[in-house]
Amino acid sequence: MGRYVVRRLLQMIPVFIGATLLIFLMVNVMGDPIAGLCGDRQCDPATAAQLKKEFGLDKPVWQQYLTYMGNVFTGDFGTAFNGQEVTELMSTAFPVTIRLTVVAIVFEVVIGITLGVITGLRRGRPVDTGVLLVTLVVISVPTFVTGLLLQLLLGVKWGWIRPSVSSDAPLDELILPGLVLASVSLAYVVRLTRTSIAENRRSDYVRTAIAKGLPRRRVVTRHLLRNSLIPVITFIGADVGFLMGGAIVTERIFNIHGVGYQLYQGILRQNTQTVVGFVTVLVLVFLVCNLVVDLLYAVLDPRIRYA
Amino acid sequence: MLLEVRDLHVEFRTRDGVAKAVNGVTYGVDAGETLAVLGESGSGKSVTAQAIMGILDMPPGRIAGGEILFQGQDLLKLKEEERRKIRGAGMAMIFQDALSSLNPVLTVGDQLGEMFTVHRGMSRKDARAKAVELMDRVRIPAAKERVRQYPHQFSGGMRQRIMIAMALALEPALIIADEPTTALDVTVQAQVMDLLAELQREYRIGLILITHDLGVVADVADRIAVMYAGRIVESAPVHDIYKAPAHPYTRGLLESIPRLDQKGQELYAIKGLPPNLLHIPPGCPFHPRCPMARDVCRTDVPPLYEVSPTRGSACHFWRECLDDYDG
Repeated sequence: MGRYVVRRLLQMIPVFIGATLLIFLMVNVMGDPIAGLCGDRQCDPATAAQLKKEFGLDKPVWQQYLTYMGNVFTGDFGTAFNGQEVTELMSTAFPVTIRLTVVAIVFEVVIGITLGVITGLRRGRPVDTGVLLVTLVVISVPTFVTGLLLQLLLGVKWGWIRPSVSSDAPLDELILPGLVLASVSLAYVVRLTRTSIAENRRSDYVRTAIAKGLPRRRVVTRHLLRNSLIPVITFIGADVGFLMGGAIVTERIFNIHGVGYQLYQGILRQNTQTVVGFVTVLVLVFLVCNLVVDLLYAVLDPRIRYA
Repeated sequence: MLLEVRDLHVEFRTRDGVAKAVNGVTYGVDAGETLAVLGESGSGKSVTAQAIMGILDMPPGRIAGGEILFQGQDLLKLKEEERRKIRGAGMAMIFQDALSSLNPVLTVGDQLGEMFTVHRGMSRKDARAKAVELMDRVRIPAAKERVRQYPHQFSGGMRQRIMIAMALALEPALIIADEPTTALDVTVQAQVMDLLAELQREYRIGLILITHDLGVVADVADRIAVMYAGRIVESAPVHDIYKAPAHPYTRGLLESIPRLDQKGQELYAIKGLPPNLLHIPPGCPFHPRCPMARDVCRTDVPPLYEVSPTRGSACHFWRECLDDYDG
């Protein structure tokens, strides 16, 4: 196991370099970062040249990348053009997004798995058909439609929630955005759990568990669920990384000042440092999530042993 | 009698109609007795066992009639919760494929111990000790260490021993073993079968041994019930059957065992296939494959004729069958 972790960590290095280099190059292609600084007017050439020198933009790209990475590893993600430290932006944005992601994951786990188990055990019955239909709708309708619709109905028309989340984003205001963020994955979790449960339900070891005279509840929770959740937990684990970075649409709709919001603003304003910094961290989050999922797999299924 | 199955009928609803898997099975087992239930796949032997255990998938399965008396009590009249308490404690089952029948993500210790925590309310620690004791009992070496291992870490024979230990855990009065050695290597088969027979004698367990292996039967069974198309076609003490079968189907089974003195000759096989349970032929269900079939076999369902006080045969011409045999 230890050797496996080391190997996986080493494998993360090229992936990390590749991903960050790619984003670095792409941001460079995006256009002249200085252009955005002077508002609508053209910058005067002398100022532009000075700014370029100050930010190191006059050097070749590969050198910029190396300098940047060197700084990143000392915890310096650079300064946004408005003078704010990128790390400072992160320290306000990430907690918000993490909270949002946690809400979303809780929805996926609680509602997704519960519905999946119920439908899996009652396959072909009205509950099953109904839930299946709803999941299909949720999967097919884009998140911004679901999000805007719910915001309009619950927030504006009926006034049950605040349509726009306040800047410190307390947990209770994140419930609806969390649900919206989770919706598509939630639907997949339901379907994945359902299939898995329905498949394992007919398995020999479940029959053994019944033949042992175990109460139905124990058969389901201890024998059926434990096995059926292996693929589901893998999915949810990988989804954590995805939700962290993929909250752009949801954060935009509900005006949440999290990672997605900052990234969006960064791209819009051609704020290179912000974009590269946030993406770098997201790449790391993604890699770590995937590693944790793989390790979790071995914990859940003792037949899998990494050497 | 420990267990008596009377005129049991089980049906399965399928898309193409109702499959009649069990059509009036009657058999019984005494304490300490071994009944071998013999038959091809689809003959209803496993379905009958599942009906006794109460682990039939319902739906699509349905018990269409009959009684299952266990220690004098009709199981079919009990509530599910009462039946659950009998499962494991009063009667237990050993399945064919131990690898798929054991839960892959729980240690064998957990799976054995569960019998005690659930049925006896024991603490986990005591249950663990009991699990080790049981593994010792079925002669699994280094039980104390191996109790923490998972099913896939055991060999096929050892896994089946664990199944046996699990069935034995609460010292049930009845054990149903559904082809317990079919999935094992031949060398291991004998060991596992011997162990099962030994424990059965020791605890005076009533054993129903479901098998299609006549070789196994001769050694351990007291009585044999031969099933065909969901019916008992012959029921007799084991020696009677081997001496002379009273049903052409039993005879076909016996003749299809390879024998040393017939080396080089073509192996006998019963012609044709078992009937489709959706359309069981009228009359004797075996008549399309029977070398002795006559007109009456096509119209009249043979009852279980009394051949002797301990023996029955569902063949109109059982006498002829018996006299003919020169095995």
